[in-house]
Amino acid sequence: MPPAWVTDIFAALMLVVAAASAARLAVARPWQPGAVIPDTDIAHLLMGIAMAGMLASSLTTLSYGAWEVIFALLTVWFAYRVVRDARASGARALAGGHCAPHLVHSAAMLYMFLAVKTAGSGSGMAGMGGSAMQTLAYPTLAFIFALILIGYTAWDLDQLPGFRHSLAPAIALPDRLAVAVSVAGTSGGEAAAAGLSESGAGTTTGRTPPGYSAGTGQESAGGATASGRSGAAAVLLSPGTTVGCRIAMGVTMALMLFLMI
Amino acid sequence: MTDVAVAGNRTAWHERLGAGAPAVRRAPDVRRALQLALAAIWLLDGVLQYQGAMYVKGFTQMLGGTAAGNPGWIATPITWNANLVQHNLGLLNTIFATIQVLLGIGIAFRPTVKPALAASVAWSLGVWWFGEGLGGVLSGSASPLNGAPGAVIIYALIAVLLWPSNRAPSSPFVAGRAVGPHVARALWAVLWLSLAYFALTPANRAPQGVNGIISGMESGQPGWLAALIRGAASLTSGQGLTVSIVLAAALVAVAAGVYLPAPAAKSTLVLAIVVSAVIWVFAEAFGMILAGGATDPNSGLLLALLALCYWPLRAASVAPGQAGVDPATERTVA
Repeated sequence: MPPAWVTDIFAALMLVVAAASAARLAVARPWQPGAVIPDTDIAHLLMGIAMAGMLASSLTTLSYGAWEVIFALLTVWFAYRVVRDARASGARALAGGHCAPHLVHSAAMLYMFLAVKTAGSGSGMAGMGGSAMQTLAYPTLAFIFALILIGYTAWDLDQLPGFRHSLAPAIALPDRLAVAVSVAGTSGGEAAAAGLSESGAGTTTGRTPPGYSAGTGQESAGGATASGRSGAAAVLLSPGTTVGCRIAMGVTMALMLFLMI
Repeated sequence: MTDVAVAGNRTAWHERLGAGAPAVRRAPDVRRALQLALAAIWLLDGVLQYQGAMYVKGFTQMLGGTAAGNPGWIATPITWNANLVQHNLGLLNTIFATIQVLLGIGIAFRPTVKPALAASVAWSLGVWWFGEGLGGVLSGSASPLNGAPGAVIIYALIAVLLWPSNRAPSSPFVAGRAVGPHVARALWAVLWLSLAYFALTPANRAPQGVNGIISGMESGQPGWLAALIRGAASLTSGQGLTVSIVLAAALVAVAAGVYLPAPAAKSTLVLAIVVSAVIWVFAEAFGMILAGGATDPNSGLLLALLALCYWPLRAASVAPGQAGVDPATERTVA
C-alpha cells in the first residue's frame, strides 16, 4: 500500500467533491416544489463520503451493509435512466450521455464494497494507506471497471472546455430542451430570463456539450431555481463543476481499484 | 456581459457562441479520438504508479537493474537515478505518478494538449533512459515479447505523430498529418523492423527463450489468465527458433504494410493489431496489471494504438484538418 499521506490526499480530494456536491444541493433547494431532483449531486455526495472513508479509516462513516444498499439503489436508478436515455437517443446515451458514467461509478462502488467484503475479513476497510492490505475478489472486474472509468475521465476532460462558458444551471423544459446560461461578470438572473425567451424564439447558439443539458437537464442541480444566483453560486451550479467532480472521482476510483487488485 | 446559450441537441455543441447559423455536422475527428486514447493510457500509467509496490525498495532495485548490460555512459546515470529515488522514494514516486496523471489530463483537456504532448515526449525520453535502460536495446535483452524497444518510447512516438498540426493535411492516415506521410512511414518501418530484429537475437531464438518470457508472466495472475499463459508457454516450449522466425516474418510484413495500397495496408494493420494483442495478453499479461505492481500497461496496448494511427482514412475524415484549423483548439473560445 502507498504511504498513508498519499491516500489521505485523495481522501481530502473526495471530501472536497462531497462538500461541493452538498453545497450544490443546498443552493439548488431541491425540496422546493417543481425543482429538478439533482440525482448526480446526491450520487457524488455519497460517493465522496464513501470513498474518503475507504481511503482513510478515520473518515469511515456507515457500515459496509449500508453502503452496499445505497450503491445498489444508485446503480439501479442510473441503469434505469440509461435505458430511458437509450430509448430516446440510442447508443449515443452510452457515449455522450451523463447517466452512463454515473452508472459505472455507482456499479464500481458497489463492486468494491461487495468484493472486499467477500475476499477480506468482513470487518470493512481500515483505510488504504499504510500497512493495511486490501484485496478484491474478481480482480479482472476491477481492471475492467478501472479502464472504463479512465475512459470516461478522458472523455469528460475533452468536453470540459465547453463548460467554462456555461456557468449556470441547465433548466429542464417541457420540450426536452434545456437552457444553459453563460455568465461573465454579472448575476445570472437576468440571463436566465433572457435564455427562456430565446428558447421560445428557437435560437440555437449553445455550447453545452452533448448529453449534459439535453434530455432531462439533470446534470446541473438547481433546475428552475436559477434566477437570482450570484456569480459564485452560478459557478457552483454549473455543469462544469459537476463534470470536474466526476473527473476527480473517476481518477480516484480507478486508483482505489488498482490499489486493491 | 451575459451570454445565453440554448442547447437542445448534440449539434449545438459544435457551434460558436453567438453564431446563429445552423450547426454543421463534422466528420469524426480521428486524431482527437486517438489523442484521447493516448491520454487515457497516460492516466492509467499514472494511477498504476501510485500502487504500493512502487513505494518499496523493489521498485528502485528494478530501476537500477535496467543498467545491467548497458554501456557505462548509459548505465551510470541509471544507477545514480536509482540511488536518488531510493533515498526519497515516497516523495519522488508520488511526483512521478502525479506527473503522469497530469500528462493524461493535459492531453485530454483541449487547451493544454500541445504543452502536454510536448511534455510527454520529454518525460518519455527521460523514463526510457533512467527507468527502462533504453528498453534493453543496447544490452541485448530486448524482445518484442517483453516490451522492446521500451513501452515508454512508444508514448513519445505516438505523441509526435498525433501533434495537432497539419503540415500534410492530405495525408492518407492520421500519423502523417503532423510529420508528413513519408516520415511517418519511415518511423513505422524502423520500429517494426527493429522488433523483427530483436525477435531473432540469440537470446530470443534459443529453444526456451520465448517459453521463458511467457511462463514468467504466470505468477500472481487470475486463474483464467494463468491458464492462457500456461497454454501459450506449453505451445512454445522448445520452439524458440520457430516462434522467432514466424514472429519476425509477421513483424516484417507489418513494417512493409504502410507502403502498400490501402486495402493491403489495412490487412497488415489488422495483423499489427492482432500481433500486439497476442503480445499484450500472452507475453505481457496485460502489463502484469492483474498481478499487482505493474508500472505501466507495457507495449502491446501502445503498439495497437500506434497501428490505429496509420489506419487509412476515408476522404471525409481528412476534412477537419484540410482547412488548416487546429482540431485541438478549434472549439476554444478566445
